[in-house]
This record gives sequence, structure tokens and C-alpha cells, in this order.
Amino acid sequence: MSEFGKIRATINGQTYDLSVALNETLLELLRYRLALTGTKSGCETGDCGACTVLVSGKAVNSCLVLAVEIDGASVTTIEGLSAGGELHPLQQAFIDHGAVQCGFCAPGIIMAAKSLLDEEPRPSEEEIRTAIAGNLCRCTGYLSIVKAIAAAAEVLRGGDKR
Amino acid sequence: MSQAPSAIGRPLPRQDALAKVAGKARYVDDLALPGMVHGKALRSPHPHARIRSINTAKARACPGVVAVLTAQDIPGANSIGPIIKDQPVLCSDVVRYVGDPVALVAAETEAAAEAALARIEVDYEILEPVLDPIRALERDAPAVQPNGNIGSHFKVRRGDVQKAFSEAAVVIQRRFFTPRIEHAYMEPEAALAAADGEGGIVVYSSTQYAHRDREEVSRMLGLPQSRVRVRQMTTGGGFGGKLSPHAQCYAALLAWKSGRPVKLRYRRDESMIASYKRHPYVTDMKLAAGRDGKIVAIEATFVGDTGAYLLEGRAVITKSVTHAAGPYFIPNIKADGYAVYTNTVPCGAFRGYGVPQAAFALESLMDELAGRLAIDPIELRIRNGLDTTCPTSTGQILRASVPFKQMLGRAKVAAESLRPLLQQAPEGRRRAIGVGCSTRSIGSIRTPSRSTAVVSLHRDGSITVACGSVDIGQGSDIMMAQVAAEELGASVERVEVISNDTAIAPDCESTSASRVTYVSGNAVRMAAAKVRARVLGLAAQDLGCAPGDLKLMDGVVLYREQGMSLAQLFAKHTFHIITDIAEFIPDTSPLDPETGQGSPAGTYSFSVHLALVEVDQGTGQPRVLRYITFSDAGRTINPMTAAGQVHGGVAMGIGYALMEQLHLDQGVTNSSFATYLIPTALDIPQEVPVEFVEDPEPTGPFGAKGFAEGSLDPAAAAIANAVSNAIGIRIERLPMTGERIYELLHPPQPSL
Repeated sequence: MSEFGKIRATINGQTYDLSVALNETLLELLRYRLALTGTKSGCETGDCGACTVLVSGKAVNSCLVLAVEIDGASVTTIEGLSAGGELHPLQQAFIDHGAVQCGFCAPGIIMAAKSLLDEEPRPSEEEIRTAIAGNLCRCTGYLSIVKAIAAAAEVLRGGDKR
Repeated sequence: MSQAPSAIGRPLPRQDALAKVAGKARYVDDLALPGMVHGKALRSPHPHARIRSINTAKARACPGVVAVLTAQDIPGANSIGPIIKDQPVLCSDVVRYVGDPVALVAAETEAAAEAALARIEVDYEILEPVLDPIRALERDAPAVQPNGNIGSHFKVRRGDVQKAFSEAAVVIQRRFFTPRIEHAYMEPEAALAAADGEGGIVVYSSTQYAHRDREEVSRMLGLPQSRVRVRQMTTGGGFGGKLSPHAQCYAALLAWKSGRPVKLRYRRDESMIASYKRHPYVTDMKLAAGRDGKIVAIEATFVGDTGAYLLEGRAVITKSVTHAAGPYFIPNIKADGYAVYTNTVPCGAFRGYGVPQAAFALESLMDELAGRLAIDPIELRIRNGLDTTCPTSTGQILRASVPFKQMLGRAKVAAESLRPLLQQAPEGRRRAIGVGCSTRSIGSIRTPSRSTAVVSLHRDGSITVACGSVDIGQGSDIMMAQVAAEELGASVERVEVISNDTAIAPDCESTSASRVTYVSGNAVRMAAAKVRARVLGLAAQDLGCAPGDLKLMDGVVLYREQGMSLAQLFAKHTFHIITDIAEFIPDTSPLDPETGQGSPAGTYSFSVHLALVEVDQGTGQPRVLRYITFSDAGRTINPMTAAGQVHGGVAMGIGYALMEQLHLDQGVTNSSFATYLIPTALDIPQEVPVEFVEDPEPTGPFGAKGFAEGSLDPAAAAIANAVSNAIGIRIERLPMTGERIYELLHPPQPSL
């Protein structure tokens, strides 16, 4: 039977005091305890990237992070990306470039891309592909996704490309 | 004819894209119902065994358990399947593959359900399994199914191949091997079921065919279909793999028996071990031609390993056999296909449906033929290509929309543009170009399938389309919106499409066979046209003119300078809504069982792909550097979603060609994405140009015919031809992993 631990963490800007099971993953915490179901469960073994979120700004597979590990950290999920109802340029770019088909990989790839663009505002195509190499997509063939990320990078740099 | 800017041919973003990127789209596992419990399935660890007994007492006593079920708890039929219903919901006497389901548990948590699974005691009497299809054909092989191990056989016969072979200038033949592969949709199977409190049940489903889910659940529970409602949730990919509703049936059975809502989701490894796959094939093919390159005969035998249950094996084999001659005119044909049972994971529908396997063999031999005759490989294909004058392998003459030779002409130009890259191979690497072509019949191969659409025009000019072809990510919903908008002169943003609820949308059969644009698109257009005719008929009465003098645009009926809004028109005639319904079924004739001749489809789609690969001679590792596509969808309704299909199909083709293979010991052993590799963003070339050669299909909606699986059909063939050209050795086996290519380049030296 699981034992519990207490954590305090900021998730999408809101601070939570939570009692979590010691073997509970961050993915389970987000999806089932906090009903933040935007982050997806595709394999639960860290191979597909569908569960990617940012923990203290770094992209992680939330299925491989224990909930207790985020004590004192800030977490951003896909739900936290659209501030005040406005889409983040990455989200808008995915829509505009046809980078969304079934959509299951999209939240994870968008978060991985955000982590890249936070660190590297002018990524090369190679850097974009490497940043999302841990995110599997079976529908799009990745090309529209890479274009969308590059377009979003330009918007974030102040360029006008919509 | 409406005057609004055309909705056809516009690259409009899909209507659910915003919800998906915002994390608001609801897939099955995002749902929760009050009182919900979690279901899990117990599966056979043996490939072949008799069940002597199942003891569930200890499992029932586990904490949190609300139900433990076996086959005897099934009130109705214990058999499901997308076409042939030969797979048990739960095995009662025999298990036939590692992963065959035996029992179900529902418990308060997933962990409690898994713990209870481990306490179910199944007494198995192990039987000898047969794990290889060639072995399964031997007289003394263990029988997987009571009637022997040949699940299905289909043939095409035309002319006299023996005579043609004996007289031909060149005859070549080879045996080809293609692997068993996994759909690898990113969303694993999941279903949520709950009794509706009125004697029926609701199932929330990740599916390619909600109405079949309804049919199978109703058969299993012994309920009328009208008491079962299926709501397709946003579905995270299917690719043919979500056509058999096993998860839906497990969840429904547990919910029905326990009285609680039950969510059942597959673990990824469970999905890879137990859900159905692409048929691995052993293909023997022989091709003969004259000196002028005209092919005179083809003989092909496809042995498809259909695993433990037939499911769609009969139709897949039929598709391969009827497509053995590919996009070419071949006068003499002898083709046979066998779906053979083995005690392995069943094989069923998978994007391409028997055409990728056939195309790999045929296109490889075409290239070999070109080499032998010293004819350019693309020129050889032009000389033999189908057009509107010559019959397909089943004797059907395609009277329109056969742009194949035009596409080959474009490919020739594109291949020239790639040639400079061939000279730029670094030290120790070889580069080459390969071409792959294909055709496929649009729609199901054995029986034609019908779509039914309901279109409603509201008095504010907005439109509701109810048509049950579910969107699984490929973009059929926006396609239907564009078709309805075009027919009714409305803007696409004012069209609502409901395809995901059996209570609202009529049965349009499955999202499969590349059929939705052609069949459902037609049904939607026809229903919208009926609505339009009624509106213009009423207006014509009022305005004292002929309906043909009127235009319908943006909610207004226009007659010369006069306009009458729909609101006015409707109010005058006491309508709040004008609704009509239409059905479309392609014009076909059945395939003769002795000769395979017939007209199985209303239209065919063609694909031409070019690949430039580079092979590292030191490691053997091939890489796709450039990839150019030519596709045929008749008129393209939405270029954005169509291009998406091409990119996705090509990526899947790269996987099939270079890296994907399920390994079996007795069951699947490489059941994770760490051990079953699919392409990542690093495996796709820098760009994949997409060109649609538009030759309208007169029987399609606004000239469209669809094309979907054509995005994958020739891909592995094109890449294999490129690798063969690069290393100078004919590839006979997929996938072309680095290890395999290395072994071909460095064959083991014979020992002394």
C-alpha cells in the first residue's frame, strides 16, 4: 500500500499543497488528481514524449518524474500556455501550418518546443528536430510541426509571420 | 451554382485544431464519470492451449474489486470482428495466441485491478503451436482453427501466363518478405462504458467506426442496437488498427455486469502484444516482358500470416491479389493469395491493406526488368501504365481520372533535378534514386460500402451535417464542411459537422479504405443539393421565376437585384429548418470467385514516389535524403489536410522500409517504443514536396476521389529500389536495417 508525502508546487501559476502517494508519477498527479488532462499518456515508459511538461523550465517526460520530485518547483503544462485565453504563438502556428492531425502528440511536442525556444530563440532546423526527437508522432510526418515551430520562433522574436 | 468564393481547394485548418493545441480536446482517458471503476484484461501467456478451468475466487476477494468476468458471463454472442466475427470477446475453451483475452476485472483503481488479475487462476493444457505460415500449410501442422489453417484464398485469372512466360524475352522472379508491423497510434486503446439507467448503455470510444462498436456491443450484451449509444471521442490515430472494438466490448461487459461506469485502457505493451497488426507476407512473384519493355505476364502468390483469427484477412488478401499488377496493364495474370492461420497475434486492417506488400514485390521486379532491358525505370513504367483505355487486373476500364502517365512524366523531371545530389556522396557512402508507384481502388474491395448523410439548413443560413464517418485525425470533418458549404453557398465557418455520435449521425461504415472523401463526401453533397433544391423551389414559387434563375449565397436567395433572406423565406413557409438525407454507394460489380474479374470500385487513385537514399558502406545504415511525391486525389478538397496525409504516409513508409519489425518468440517481444522503432523527427528528409496532379473524378464530390492510403502504398518500394540501386544488390526483405544491409554488403566468407 502506498505511503504519502506532502509537496508544495506551482502548477501553471497556481500554488498547490498536495498529499501525494510516493509512487505517484507527475503524469498521474496532473491527469487524474488535478484533472489537467491536456498532458497525454502514450506509453508510460518515457519513450513517446506525449507526457512532456516543463518542470522549472526544463522539458521532462512526466511519466518518469515522481510527484514528490516537484516539491518546491514550478510546472507548466499545455493548459498553462495560453495566458488569458490567448493562444501562445506555438499553438497558433500549429493550427496555421496543419501540424495537428489526431492531436495526441501535440501538447507534448508543443511543450518540448517551448523549452527549446525559451533557451534558443533562433533555432536552426537541426536544433528544432533534435529538440523534438523524443516526441513521437505517427500522423504528421513531422514536417509541418518543424515549420510551425520555426514560424512561432519568428513571431516570438518580433517578426510578423503569422 | 453558388457564387460565394469556392470552399473547395482551400487549405482551411480543421475545426478541432484549437481544442487540440490548447489541451482541451477530450480523448477517452480524459473522461471521468461519477462512481467510475477501472477495467483490465487477463491475457493468455501461451500461444496455443486448452483452458481446463478458470478460478476467480481469489481475484473476487481482492480489495477494491467489483467484478471478475469470464466467457460464461457474456449474455449474448461471444465473437467480434471487423468483417469476419471469429475472435472471441473472452476465450472459453482454447487460447490461440499470446495475448488472447481470458478474463476481465473491474476495480476501484487500476492498481487494484492489476493485482486482482494476478490472482485469477487459469489451468491451461498446453498445445503445440504453429508459429510460421509456411509450416502452417503443411499437412501435419497443428490446426489453429477447426477448419484448417487456410483462412481464405482469393485468385485472379486472365489469359494464359504459361504461354506468355514461355514466349517472353525476359522472365524474372523472386521471393519477397515483408514484416509484421504495429500501427503505433499515439493513443493506446481505451473505452469508457456506462449503463444509461434506461435499459441501455453508452460507450465512449476511440474508434474508426462508432456504429460497428454499437453493433458488436449490442450483439455481445444481447441488446437491440437502438439501446446502445456510442460516442466517438477525439481519437488519437487509428491507421486501420481501431476497427475491431475489443476494448469497447470489455468495458461494456464490465459496466453491464458491475452496474458501475468502467474505463478500460490498454497499456502500451499490452497494445503492442495483443491488438492486431499488419499481415507479414511471403510473396513469390514472376514477371515477363518483351524486348520493348511491354510486360506480358505476371504470376504472384501471396502468403499472408493472418495470425490466430481471420478478422479482415480475407479482404486484405483480396486487395493484394486484385492489385498484384499494380498501376500497369498486364494482359496475362495468375495471382493467388492465402490468409494463413498461425498461433500468433492476429493481423488485420493496416493503412495500405495488402497493397504495400504487393507494391514492394512488383516495383522491385519492375526495376530489375528495367535493368535487364536497359530501359529507364520510369520510362518502363510509362510504357506499361494504365490509362483510360486498358483494363485493370480485374477487367475494369477506368473511364476518367487516370493521371498516372502524367504523374510519371512529372517524376521524370523531378528525378533529373535530384541527379546532381548523386555526385555529392561523401567518402564511404553511396547514393541512388529509386521510384515506386501504386494504384488502389477507393473503398472496400469485396462489398461496396454505403454512406448516408443528413444535411440541415437553419434559418440563419448556418448548416449542420450529420454523417457518421468518424474523423480520426485525417481531416474528414473539415472536408464534409467544405463540401456542404460549397453546395449551399455558405462559409465553411458556419457549417457544423457531427460525425461522432451514433444517436445523431447515420451509419456511414468505417473510416477506412480511403473511402470517406469519395463515399461520404458524395452523400453530403447529395443531401446538401436536395436541401438547396427545396429552398430554391420555394423561393422560385414566391418570386415567380424558375429555380435555375436563382443563386443561394451566404443565407440569401438572389434573383437579379432582389434578395430574399432565408429567415424571410423560412418564416413565410413555416420552416425553422430544412433537412434532407442522401445515400451514396459506389457503382460496382462483384468480383467473380473463379477469375477475380469485376468492377470493385467507383474510382482508383494513383501514386508515384521518388526516394534518394544514402547508404553508409561501413555500417550498412541507409538514410532517406530526399523524397518527392506525386499524388492523385482527383480534385483536392483541402490541400492542407491532403498534404498532411502524404507526409504522414511517407513517414510511415520510411518506418516500414528501414526500421519497423515486430519480433516474436511465442508472443511479441519488442513491445515498447524503445525496442520497436518508428521514425522520429530526425528520420524524415528536410522536405517532402507534395504535388497533386488534378484530374477530376466525374463521379466524386466536386471531382474529388480521395487517396489516403496512396500516401503509403509505394513508399517502401521506392526506398527499396533506391537502396538496391545504391548497393547493387536487389533487396528482397524489409525492413532494410543497417545490420541487414551490412550483411548484404559483407556476406560471410565460406569457412575452409
